[in-house]
Amino acid sequence: MKKLGRIWSEYSFIFVLIVIFIVYAITSSGLTWSGVMNIFRHSAVIGTVALGMGLICLTGEIDLSVGSMLALTAGFSVIVFNVTGNIFLTLVFALGFGALCGLVNGLLVGGVQMPAFIVTLATMLIYRSFAQYFCQHVDRALIGGGSSVYKMDTANASYQTLFGFGNGKIATIPNVGIVMLLMTALFVYISSSTKYGKKIYAIGSNFKAARMSGINVSMMKISAFVICGLLTGLGAFLWIAMNGSADPATTGSSYEMYAIASVVLGGIAMSGGRGKMLGVLFGAMSYTIVDKIIVALKMDSLINNAIKGIILILVILVQVAGPQIRERFRKSA
Amino acid sequence: MSLLEMRDIRKSFSGVSVLKGVQLTVESGEVHALLGENGAGKSTLMNILTGVLPRDGGTITFDGQKLEHITITQSEKLGIAFVHQELNLFNDLKVFENMFLNREYANKFGRLDKKRMRAEARELFERLGVEIDPDAVVADLKTSQKQLLEICKALHLHAKLIILDEPTTSLNNEEVDHLFSILRKLKAEGTSFIFISHKMPEIFALADRYTVFRNGEYIGEGRIDETTPEKVTIMMVGESYSNAEVYEKRALGDEVLRLDHFTGDGFHDISLSVKRGEIVGMTGLQGSGSSEMLQAIFGSSRATAGTVTAFGRTVPHNSIHGAMKAGIAMLPNNRKENSVLPDMTLMENMAISEQTLTAAKLPVDSKRDKKRYGEYKEMLGIKAQSSDDLITSLSGGNQQKIFIARWLNTDAELLILDNPTQGIDVGAKAEIYRLILELAKAGKTILINTLEIPEIMKVADRCIVFYDGGMIRELAHEEINEQDVMLYSVGITEKTAGKESKKS
Repeated sequence: MKKLGRIWSEYSFIFVLIVIFIVYAITSSGLTWSGVMNIFRHSAVIGTVALGMGLICLTGEIDLSVGSMLALTAGFSVIVFNVTGNIFLTLVFALGFGALCGLVNGLLVGGVQMPAFIVTLATMLIYRSFAQYFCQHVDRALIGGGSSVYKMDTANASYQTLFGFGNGKIATIPNVGIVMLLMTALFVYISSSTKYGKKIYAIGSNFKAARMSGINVSMMKISAFVICGLLTGLGAFLWIAMNGSADPATTGSSYEMYAIASVVLGGIAMSGGRGKMLGVLFGAMSYTIVDKIIVALKMDSLINNAIKGIILILVILVQVAGPQIRERFRKSA
Repeated sequence: MSLLEMRDIRKSFSGVSVLKGVQLTVESGEVHALLGENGAGKSTLMNILTGVLPRDGGTITFDGQKLEHITITQSEKLGIAFVHQELNLFNDLKVFENMFLNREYANKFGRLDKKRMRAEARELFERLGVEIDPDAVVADLKTSQKQLLEICKALHLHAKLIILDEPTTSLNNEEVDHLFSILRKLKAEGTSFIFISHKMPEIFALADRYTVFRNGEYIGEGRIDETTPEKVTIMMVGESYSNAEVYEKRALGDEVLRLDHFTGDGFHDISLSVKRGEIVGMTGLQGSGSSEMLQAIFGSSRATAGTVTAFGRTVPHNSIHGAMKAGIAMLPNNRKENSVLPDMTLMENMAISEQTLTAAKLPVDSKRDKKRYGEYKEMLGIKAQSSDDLITSLSGGNQQKIFIARWLNTDAELLILDNPTQGIDVGAKAEIYRLILELAKAGKTILINTLEIPEIMKVADRCIVFYDGGMIRELAHEEINEQDVMLYSVGITEKTAGKESKKS
């Protein structure tokens, strides 16, 4: 009984995914392999971004700017692609620009020691505004001739290759899903088996003690924000590869909230120091499946966020109330 | 009739019995010392008395009234107040706001009558001879003032029984004296106290009677003036306790640490030379600079001038990592705040410092960490089940040993120990002393800062007394005695004028 409780608290994200998946299996008329694989495809961007959020949350900080950062990086990457026509350069730019956006957050939070909530709230406004402003004020040719959307130049020779990558499959598994799984594997390894990972946990657990143990807390926080920026840049690259365009107003909108929710659903404590990076993948996929369920039930997609919110509250309710109920049960027994 | 009678109190947590039928009797107008090692059950009993925890069995009579199910509000109403070790004050509120929190005076529209609250607070402070401005913000108060404010808060509720849980931990001797004189005054007025402390001199200075617990069992009680500290200590720790001298003189090596006009926040112009294998005790009242200077050597507190040379290399100022690379380690004071990584396992807690030094090699070598953990567990006598248990599952003494292992694991040759036995019970303290001496014998150089002079007498080759940011006196091992050290640390040096300090 006690052991079961411990497994629940550590791996609740697996139970959550299973339950949601069962609901999906029941509601969708006929479960198909490609339908399931589609979950990977649609989790790819949010899953990648949420990994970075998970790392930041483990240090006890937060990054509200990832959604806007995604839109800005995706938009500018489209321009880079349209100008250069080079996929590799586009990828490098997306990663580099994302890392730069993360560095701005990191320097202000880790270096200047401003509160992360305020800093990233501000950069959330700034990045989104830049994305929208530049979309209106650059040469139309650069954004594929569109008016309020960054569109990739479909006439470009490399376009089909990039779009093909974003929508292609290897052995029936979507390419972008594979990228997400690889990233998850990488960050599970980093967080659990490297000294860098141990230091991240140490800072979130007790930053004073971490400092007195010789950890450079400022540098570690800066690095976590940069890595989150890198992952958001990768997410932006996946986004344009999948969609061929980025809308500065809607791309990545509310993604910071979905990312945080995935992290929490995945069992990472917002106060830092506790939780597993693997949970982030399950959290992100759980939310994608909710989208699928709503489509399968032919419900209005506007109810989407309400259901996601309720699931989040239910899961945390079980986590928080579970031990209390068990304690009371023990008392009366 | 006694003010408080607790009989045959039993309590167990998830099957583990922590109170096995203990008793406690407190008379009106007495200071009753409740003694026992950490984990003896003192806190549990106090939590039962104040309604924080329900009891499994036993009877409680307070002020002639039998108490069945105690709630926190009820115990407060009856006049029982608990002044916790970690003070329960609101730092951002003013003194009088803290005192009247949740019992504010207000007019019928809900407007606060601040004038009346201020006046009442001031009156109480004056009556007790407490110097606190009712309008001061609590964050600006000294720890001793906060402690007194907590007591005043309890008195303002007309508490008949005040529980003081280690009230002197963060006070200097002067402040302790002041606190005690106030407590004596209140005692004369009929207030009773339960006094929980590990410090024998204080217990014998203040308490009238005592009760001793050991491992959740009642061992005995009696009058303080009919016993001795040794007898009480033996009751607390059982037969295993011995007060045997552990110190022995050792041959020292070459100079390994040299400070030249070292200056920083809270200390100035310190010059010092330390030899390999030496144990140097530092002491002084709080704020005298000894702790600040040690922190500055390690780079965790600010240094502004002068040089630190360790093992022939200049140690950079204000860089913990730089100090670590120079072979310096520091066990900081306040274990819970500065050492414990509460979400991490024993092994992770042990390995973390070594990992910051070898961060370039990215993967964790858990096989080697495990081997090292096993070695240190054996060497330091750490009592723990599995290396994968959380650090918080260990007692204070064993946690501290893990942190000693954390630093030994960095292969540091100079160990700075800042108040290493804070909040550790008597048995574990003796073990830590033994360890310190063993490490020195093995060639480690040790600087130890503590406010407890007997501790220095046990281990130090020499003792440096700090006063007002400077070194006021240096004493060889034979010269260290509590009285002299105390005199120097309050700035009195005339008594031994003429005797020059031996080293420059």
